[in-house]
Amino acid sequence: MTRFIESTITFPYKRSLGPVVGAFMTALTEKQILGIRCQDAVLVPPMEWDPATGAELPHEFVEVGPAGTVESWTWVGTPSIQHPLDHSFAFAFIRLDGATTPLLHAVDAGTPQAMSEGMRVAPRWRGSREGRIDDIICFVRGEAAETEGEDTGGATDPVTRMDYLASITYRNPVPEAADRATEASREHRLLGLRCPTCGRVYAGGRGLCPVDAIELGPECEVDLPHTGTITNFAIVTPVQYPGQTETEPFVRAFVLLDGTDVIIPYSVVIELPADQVKVGLRVDAVWASPAEETEEGGGMGGSWGSLLGWIPNGEPDIDDPDLVNRIF
Amino acid sequence: MSAPSTDIAVIGWAQTPMVRHTDKSETQLLMEAITDAIVPLGLTRADIDYTCLGSCDYITGQAFSFVSNLDAIGAWPPKRDSHVEMDGAWALYEAWLRLQEGDIEIAVVTGSGRSSTGDPALIYPMEMDPYFLAPLGADPLTFAALQARAVIAAGIADERSMAEVAVRARGGDVETLLAEEYLRQPLRRHDVPPITDGAAAMVLATGDRARRLVERPAYITGFDHRTECHNPSFRALDDSPSTRIAAESAGLSDAPVEVAELQAAFTHEELLLREVLGFGDEVFVNSSGGALRDNPIMATGLCRVGHAANHIFGGGSRALAHATSGPCLQQNLVCILEGRS
Ligand SMILES: [Zn+2]
Repeated sequence: MTRFIESTITFPYKRSLGPVVGAFMTALTEKQILGIRCQDAVLVPPMEWDPATGAELPHEFVEVGPAGTVESWTWVGTPSIQHPLDHSFAFAFIRLDGATTPLLHAVDAGTPQAMSEGMRVAPRWRGSREGRIDDIICFVRGEAAETEGEDTGGATDPVTRMDYLASITYRNPVPEAADRATEASREHRLLGLRCPTCGRVYAGGRGLCPVDAIELGPECEVDLPHTGTITNFAIVTPVQYPGQTETEPFVRAFVLLDGTDVIIPYSVVIELPADQVKVGLRVDAVWASPAEETEEGGGMGGSWGSLLGWIPNGEPDIDDPDLVNRIF
Repeated sequence: MSAPSTDIAVIGWAQTPMVRHTDKSETQLLMEAITDAIVPLGLTRADIDYTCLGSCDYITGQAFSFVSNLDAIGAWPPKRDSHVEMDGAWALYEAWLRLQEGDIEIAVVTGSGRSSTGDPALIYPMEMDPYFLAPLGADPLTFAALQARAVIAAGIADERSMAEVAVRARGGDVETLLAEEYLRQPLRRHDVPPITDGAAAMVLATGDRARRLVERPAYITGFDHRTECHNPSFRALDDSPSTRIAAESAGLSDAPVEVAELQAAFTHEELLLREVLGFGDEVFVNSSGGALRDNPIMATGLCRVGHAANHIFGGGSRALAHATSGPCLQQNLVCILEGRS
């Protein structure tokens, strides 16, 4: 039975708007909708370039609407969390008065029977507007625009940026080899997989040989030594971004296991200040005690499980100028 | 673009089982598809001179997800490799261009996607125009419904002919289908593609190498792709000028095609594409069932080329494959394949 793991990734985008989209968004805060003149046409929403030729358009804005005519529509019976309304509504192409192209937006019409081509609609504005397309909550039947809630007025400065939070939840299969490697780590075993074709050994539970492009099952498992040599390292100075938990500079080292060709990448080095980590340093694996076990495993993360990292073992350094080349 | 001076042919391809939900990772799917494509040709991964993989990080949920997919191609010793954040049909286009340099003979292209990893209805709106469309959650079903309405208004389709397309692809009965509720008016569930996990891999070879490896290579004699404005509301949705230009440039009008595989995920798209390409009943369209039967995102277009190649492998003389990308057939690719006696 394959195990699945769910993860949510969020991308907090900050988008710069530029002179044309920025003007449109700024106007929205004033409850105005702008198009841009493109030869004989008025494009809504405005674009910086002629869609037919790619030529840059002069910034000749034209106020359109606020009312318009439904040119086409479809009924959304069950809205998603991304949709502008939490009850059923229409998505419609609305040609605002004075515009040549239709704008896609929501129409709050109650039922699909209330929708028709040629229907006249006007915006329902948000009382508090930021300069986003959803400052218009939706369109409603009729000629008169309305405002929901207390009207806090237009923006004091031109709107130049738009925040957009993309958030996606994914469900991915966990390779069985990764689960087996994690399980073995609970018994303080460092599991490797030896490829029957090329003889290379891989750690970390990837479950395949990328050289021969074959899967490596339990029959390929071997126990790896718990002692090795640091071949290379980097000192990471953390930059604060959402989700960053580190605050101080820290080391990520590459450890070559004794008597093997296996590199343990991005390793945590324990009880040694960052400025004392060096190439050739001899290290031992450090395992979480049962009391330290957590859901997320040790300091290495992922299928390394209870492996917390590596600690200097006091043996003399290895002096080999080729060591630094071993990062995989 | 018309045929290059060097012959370039599809000599084989394979696809994984097409399922609603797979337990395998994208890398595992690709390993299987590539092996199944090259082994019957007597090739190993060492024989592959160039690879180009088509996949999408947004669908996989991992930045640089194509890097782990390299595990499937056996990239040691180092290989010439490329990637397109597009359907594998565009990877095929890139490989076709690369082979024209004449210094290499064998290329493998793939398309892969695990649609079930996320919720396509929530992911695709985020790939839309970020200023005017994504904040509204403008989803693919909405755009498809608005295009269907335009195609119906132009007299190219009606709800019945759309249901007939669905019946040809997936079976069933037109009257029963038409009695169903709307999913997104005028679309019903049968007008809409399934969500499919899967991958495909295709092998290309040049000139004599192709002829030594297989009896009847499917020669690529014309290949082009064109795109339109990104905002669907600026386009004539009852037409597909990019498809028309790509087909003309690929030489569609030079000779009749016997079969066509069109990437039409929605029933009205097949009817619109037939109209734009000028296909009457003499052209057998989507005998594979098309994207309405299996829709492995990022591989669906490449599978169209594969099924068209099957027609040539089986003795056919001329076939057209079409792939598309973006909302409402924004970007369209046409590939013409021919057999030789
Ligand atoms: Zn191997």
